Amino acid sequence: MMHDEQFGTPQRYKTLVGAVVLIFAILMARLYQLQLLYHGELDKKSEENSVRALIKEPIRGYIYDRNGKLVVDVGPSYTVMIVPAEFDRRNMPLLSRLLNMTPATIEERMARARAYSPYLPSRLKRDITFRQLAALEEHLPLLSGISYQVESKRSYPTKAYASHLLGYSREISDAQLAQVGEYYRQGDVIGTAGLEARYEQFLRGEKGFEYVSVNSIGQIIGSFEDGKRDVISKEGFDLILGMDVELQAFAESLMTVNNYSGAIVAMDPSNGSLLAMVSKPDFDPAIMSGVTPAELWARLNSDPSKPLFNRAALTRYPPGSTFKMVLAAAALEEGIIDETYRIHCTGGFRYGNRVWKDLHVHGSTNVVEAIQRSCNVFFYQLIFKVGFEKWSEYGRRFGFGSPTGIDTGEETAGIMPSPAYYDARYGKGKWTLGYTVSLSIGQGEVGVSPLQMARYVAALANGGILHQPHAVMYVNNKRTGKIEELPHAQKPVGLSPKTIELIREGMRRVVQEPGGTASLARVKGIQSAGKTGTAENPHGEDHAWYVGFAPFENPTIAVVVMLENSGFGGAKAAPMAGLIIEKYHYGQLIRALPRPIPAARDSVKTITHVSSR
Amino acid sequence: MFEYLKEYFDLQGLILCLVLVAMGLVSVYSATYDAGAAETFQKQLIWAGAGMATLLLAAFFPMKTLQRIAFPSYVFMLGVLLVVLVVGRTISGSTSWFGVGGLGVQPSEFAKVATVLALAAFLSRTTTSLSNVRHLIIALGIVLVPMILVLAQPDLGTSIVFFIMLLPILYWGGASNFVLAAILSPIIVAAGALFGTFAFLFTLLLAAVMLYLTRENRFAAAVAFSISLVIGLSVQTVYDRLPVYQQKRIATFLNPDLDPRGAGYNVLQSKVAIGSGGVFGKGYLQGTQTQLNFIPEQWTDFIFCVPGEEFGFIGASVVLVCFTALLLHGLKIAHLSKNKFASAASVGIVGVFGTHMLINIGMSMGILPVIGIPLPFLSYGGSALIANLAMVGLLMNFYANRKEH
Repeated sequence: MMHDEQFGTPQRYKTLVGAVVLIFAILMARLYQLQLLYHGELDKKSEENSVRALIKEPIRGYIYDRNGKLVVDVGPSYTVMIVPAEFDRRNMPLLSRLLNMTPATIEERMARARAYSPYLPSRLKRDITFRQLAALEEHLPLLSGISYQVESKRSYPTKAYASHLLGYSREISDAQLAQVGEYYRQGDVIGTAGLEARYEQFLRGEKGFEYVSVNSIGQIIGSFEDGKRDVISKEGFDLILGMDVELQAFAESLMTVNNYSGAIVAMDPSNGSLLAMVSKPDFDPAIMSGVTPAELWARLNSDPSKPLFNRAALTRYPPGSTFKMVLAAAALEEGIIDETYRIHCTGGFRYGNRVWKDLHVHGSTNVVEAIQRSCNVFFYQLIFKVGFEKWSEYGRRFGFGSPTGIDTGEETAGIMPSPAYYDARYGKGKWTLGYTVSLSIGQGEVGVSPLQMARYVAALANGGILHQPHAVMYVNNKRTGKIEELPHAQKPVGLSPKTIELIREGMRRVVQEPGGTASLARVKGIQSAGKTGTAENPHGEDHAWYVGFAPFENPTIAVVVMLENSGFGGAKAAPMAGLIIEKYHYGQLIRALPRPIPAARDSVKTITHVSSR
Repeated sequence: MFEYLKEYFDLQGLILCLVLVAMGLVSVYSATYDAGAAETFQKQLIWAGAGMATLLLAAFFPMKTLQRIAFPSYVFMLGVLLVVLVVGRTISGSTSWFGVGGLGVQPSEFAKVATVLALAAFLSRTTTSLSNVRHLIIALGIVLVPMILVLAQPDLGTSIVFFIMLLPILYWGGASNFVLAAILSPIIVAAGALFGTFAFLFTLLLAAVMLYLTRENRFAAAVAFSISLVIGLSVQTVYDRLPVYQQKRIATFLNPDLDPRGAGYNVLQSKVAIGSGGVFGKGYLQGTQTQLNFIPEQWTDFIFCVPGEEFGFIGASVVLVCFTALLLHGLKIAHLSKNKFASAASVGIVGVFGTHMLINIGMSMGILPVIGIPLPFLSYGGSALIANLAMVGLLMNFYANRKEH
């Protein structure tokens, strides 16, 4: 075999030398690029690495009512902090006793703190009592790695709870933490319900940072550049509500005294701001500030009376006769009837083989009288003239079937039936116009929230403008130093002055004229208007409704009262609305609280099912 | 006296490697400073001592005997690699260690030396010709067998070193351009396939041109091209079967911004460390990246950041220059050696050092993927340090005997 001529030739030596030099050149070029060309940028990154930011908590914004009364305040809260690396486990029994925490809980919290940083302080326990603080302070010299800091928590200086409106803030949960990201960390407080949640971005303020240099193992060795780069925390913005906190407290007490469950919504009809929003049963929001004991939280959640459930925004009951104005508006506006149109109420209405009865025989009745006396027969026959589709369209124009856009949290869209809805529900051709007879008087599938009703009655009060209901009117922007008005949507329902005038006249007579169903809502010295209603409840006692506004000529308040399982609207809901209007109009009650008055009956839902269905 | 010393003692090689070892000790001390450090540094110091002893032993070992025992020791090392697969200690997912009390021995480091010597011994036989296909296959086999055993541990980094160091030694041994092209083609095409369809087609074209220009006969060229094509096409399948951490490393290399807190973290922090060093560095034990432990396991694979950060461009250049000088010195010895075994082994040793240097420093500076292999002389680790110093000793040996046939 031939000897290999190519072994280690000078040519191959040169090539290998060239390869080595090439590799050297590439690495040197990269080194030059990193250390000379990119030096500035990479040096900055490295500096960021050796500096730590300590978080300085901001003060959460305050909440005021429309008259400048402080509704939600901020008070001191003491939080125990731990530096995991400095804590001596031999002190565990002492710490456990002082803070009334089990060693296992402390260990678990400490492990989380260690994951953030072993050398920086993390929260161990929030909102300790003053007695615990005193005891801790005494032992502090013994407890290395333990300190406390003053933080803020909510306090409520007024008599009103307004729990469903104000909402509450709580320590951020792991799930929330994963969702909201960056800004928050373990132990932070975040608005969780109501205004506290919706306006979290305004209320929370901005965290401040104190920059410290850390040594090789992350221990703080001093301030960084003498604190020149520190950022002072920024206070949260204040909210200024449409609420009249006196009225709110009064409305709550009316519900409490009578032990009602239900909702009251009072609204300024000129702009949709909420004067009061009550949902009963409720809870004291103060128990949510600081640390809520787990068993209390569990009890609130499992209470069968559902105190956490906002009945003003989330219930979806039939509106009963309070809905009759929708049909009246449709008939008048479409020119189907006018005030001269009369029917003869014989106390019953037949369609097909079914008969719907009225409680009274109203005789010759026009649209104004039909509202005044709540004549069912008038509306039973009217829906056939107006048509299901038109009725449904006017209901939607008044905002039914869609959310109101309230800023206090979750709400229901309600149900506004239409032919399409029935087609979807029962199947095309499987329902008859007979189904719509009940709808004409606000029974059946139609479902509304008290908030939607407030928006509706406010529109009737103000001449036909549908306002977006809102709790917050202004924000005190601490960055600009200005009080800023928050924008709100509004749109006309699209009714002529004549239509509005007739409906309003009917509603005035409901309260002010003999034969009206809500004379109990009268307020001395002012003209008031309204409508009673009763929501059929197949599961129990009916729900009572009253919607109204006052004064008649220039309304300043629209009120909706909804009482669950309390029977007829005229009897209990109307007098409460009267009291609320009186309180708001005069600033106080000008009469002694009314004696119990025997029930006066609302129009009735006596429905006789003749069919075999 | 000095003339005699210069004639028979490779002072240049020794000094270069001593500078690198010293730089390594200084860097390991800094990287482990205050974090239970003393122990790591002291161990490395002991290994450096053991390494120097090994170096001297290798330098004065009779060259002819070395050539004779090259094959037996290679076979012995293959046996050791097999045994370690069965009874070895598993550290970070790779079964590549023998536990000896508190110390660990990594046989793959010594297998590199044995493989180089065995291949050199094979190439230096007067009957061997790399234009003979059978001989070529034997030469490839000498490298591929230990490479596959290392890959089975699995230690991707070290097996890549085995493969790449094969190229210079084969080239030196007289392999034709076509053979080198045929070995290189599948690697280039496989790498291209990782980057996507366009890169795949481009590298395929490149391979085709390379093979065409160097072709000796059309059939062989076609076979080589087909192999490249098949390997390139199967890259995706192989990629899917790789352990997740290696997929991540490759993906992160292709796009480092993908995962700045995860697999890309080391590279990012390493670049920050080197870049923030600037011209003069932050001063010894003053590097914030190093001292605050921003680079995990810095004292092993990312040791180059320490001179980079603390001694700056000047310190890092010293390391690069010393390495390059050592490589060129090794090539010079290969060129001067009259003995073919010594000549081929020298190139093999240069190949081992060069591959480690290129991949390790390239990875620290973010121009090559993160392949976990140490930087010779600098990285913490006893087996590697001893094996590397042994190879320097061999270079010194070959220098002293350069005029022997």
